[in-house]
Amino acid sequence: MAGSGKGRGRAAFTFNIEAIGFAKGETLPEVAFKPPPLFPPTDFKPVPLKMGEEEDYMLALKQEFRASMKKMPYFMQKEDENQGIEKYSKKYLQMRKESMEWTPGGKMKKAKVATPKSNVDVLKKIEELEKKGDEEKSDEEKEKEKDKEGEEEEEEAGNEQEEYDEEDHEEENDYIASYFEDGDDFGAGSDDNMDEATY
Amino acid sequence: MTQAEIKLCSLLLQEHFGEIVEKIGTHLIKTGSQPLRVIANDTGMSLDQVKKALCVLIQHNLVTYQLQKRGFVEYEASCSRVLRILRYPRYIYTAKTLYSDMGELIVEELLLNGKMTMSVVVRKVVNRLTETMEDGKTMDYGEVSNTFVRLADTHFIQRCPMAPETTETLDAPPPPVPTLVVNEKDMYVVPNLNLIGKGKRRRSFDDEDNGEHKAKRQKQDADSKEPPPDDGIYWQTNIDRFHQHFRDQAIVSAVANRMDQTSSEIVRTMLRMSEITTSSNAPYTQPLSSNEIFRSLPAGYNIVKQILDQYLTLLADDPLEFVGKSGDSGGGMYVINLHKALATLATATLESIVQERFGSRCARIFRLLLRKKHLEQKQVEDFAMIPAKEAKDMLYKMLSENFVSLQEIPKTPDHAPSRTFYLYAVNTLSSARMLLHWCYKSVANLIERRQYETKENKRLLEKSQRVEAILASMQATGAEEMQLQEIEEMITAPERQQLENLKRNVNKIDASENQVDETIFVLESYIESTVKKL
Repeated sequence: MAGSGKGRGRAAFTFNIEAIGFAKGETLPEVAFKPPPLFPPTDFKPVPLKMGEEEDYMLALKQEFRASMKKMPYFMQKEDENQGIEKYSKKYLQMRKESMEWTPGGKMKKAKVATPKSNVDVLKKIEELEKKGDEEKSDEEKEKEKDKEGEEEEEEAGNEQEEYDEEDHEEENDYIASYFEDGDDFGAGSDDNMDEATY
Repeated sequence: MTQAEIKLCSLLLQEHFGEIVEKIGTHLIKTGSQPLRVIANDTGMSLDQVKKALCVLIQHNLVTYQLQKRGFVEYEASCSRVLRILRYPRYIYTAKTLYSDMGELIVEELLLNGKMTMSVVVRKVVNRLTETMEDGKTMDYGEVSNTFVRLADTHFIQRCPMAPETTETLDAPPPPVPTLVVNEKDMYVVPNLNLIGKGKRRRSFDDEDNGEHKAKRQKQDADSKEPPPDDGIYWQTNIDRFHQHFRDQAIVSAVANRMDQTSSEIVRTMLRMSEITTSSNAPYTQPLSSNEIFRSLPAGYNIVKQILDQYLTLLADDPLEFVGKSGDSGGGMYVINLHKALATLATATLESIVQERFGSRCARIFRLLLRKKHLEQKQVEDFAMIPAKEAKDMLYKMLSENFVSLQEIPKTPDHAPSRTFYLYAVNTLSSARMLLHWCYKSVANLIERRQYETKENKRLLEKSQRVEAILASMQATGAEEMQLQEIEEMITAPERQQLENLKRNVNKIDASENQVDETIFVLESYIESTVKKL
């Protein structure tokens, strides 16, 4: 019958296979039925790198350039996500965020200079606070701060909110830090959180 | 922009500018020009962050802005300019070879900051040089200013476009976008600054000079309040000029490899004479007469005029066609065929790649096809003197990797395979494009691997940095040998070994990136030369 080709079940091509160089009846190369391997073995290994003074110097230049770029004010680091253990001092460092109006090159440097100083002040403050209050008290505050911080880190202008929450948390201790000196509206706002009566 | 280019751009931006800038830069490269609010919307970042990132990108000449007809401003990122970040070390090194340390630092400062005024550059460079000098010596502003002027004269640095001085009418609102113009004539004109003074060190001064330095510091503060005399005149590196220099270097070394030192010197002289007269993408240099070349040869070479003529004739007759003869006046007018030279360099790169990937016999077939343009299977076997079976195998291997292409020429209208010619050929332009794409992919892979290695050993790296810091501070305060040893032992021997391995790997990967960039340069220059500029 027409179309049966050379024999039943054998491969039959529409052209003379000798044209591309396979002898009649010879085994054809295997058909690929899966994608090629990701790292195929190579017959020839790559040529070794150029070595020399010039190359070494350019390598040093490249690494130094990368390091300097990281220190420049142009390098904008993304705010770190929650890194497991929240550092207590982080709350104070966040209060010193860059001001909203940013002038290229100008204010960034000042902000950087200011933060080390604030670090020292904050550390001293923390030491004093630790000496004053109980240790349990600071732990409690830490845990509550953690929860609040997790929500707040996504918001940009967290300054004012953090200060407000700080005062809120201080109210939840057994000791009242200060008698009411604020306006009448203060008590009305935090009625839900308060356990004890207001005087 | 191909995927590989975009990936590489995003990796480079992330390494040099941080993640926020990377996100916005990549978005702009992918989507073309966009206005500010659309960028903020699409990337999901706050308007403030987008503004800051765009400022950084514009400062470094990676993004440009344009006022559209409808009245809003669109920002566009330039993918090719971002890829140049890979080449920065080469630019800095070239400046060092041409203008020594001062040139190197000037170019480095300009690349770090994108755009700077001359006074700021000079001051920073002087301070940096002063720190490296011995105690008591300081660097003078004059030398650095001179180097700056020389860099500007040879066009390695150029002025940035400036806002034009307009007579402001108070009632008209300011335009949303300043239109920056640059006057062609003024692009390399250095402002007349009277920069005098000496460098300052950042470290603590000697007691004797205390009084003097206090006075100097006060003076410095007073100076910084007044605007510097060249306020508003910003400088940037002229990337094209560096590329021209690299291209010339490549041509000269090619001639030196093919012929001898003297002919390469002649070609170098010819190129140097045409540096400023020929534009960077001209197909050939301006014709130079043999007499001119003779006069401009460097002083060390005292060859006779006749020998020079012989060399020039030899160069012009060479089948590589680097040098061509365009006339007979003035002792013979000669040009350098720049586009042909670039094509030859790219082809040589292709041949070398085929040789390293497939072996020298495949390379022989490849070179044969390059020379003969189109060949049938049978002819390939005959000319290359390789047995039929192997030749077939090699041709098919190269065909499957797209180094070689197949052209069908039918004898009959029904395209019957037995009555069709199948011709093999090599298309250099498309092979060059494909290889360039491979190069971008390789560099992206290298950077990723390097980042992975560094991340894996982050803890160990941090520990070693802390130990070094402790060591340094202890040495400064004068500690004993025993204490120093104790601190050093904080890093155990296997950890030290691990650190060594890490350092070696990272260095190797960095060096590979630099070398792949050399190939990228050759291929890009070739492809650019074939693109017709309207």
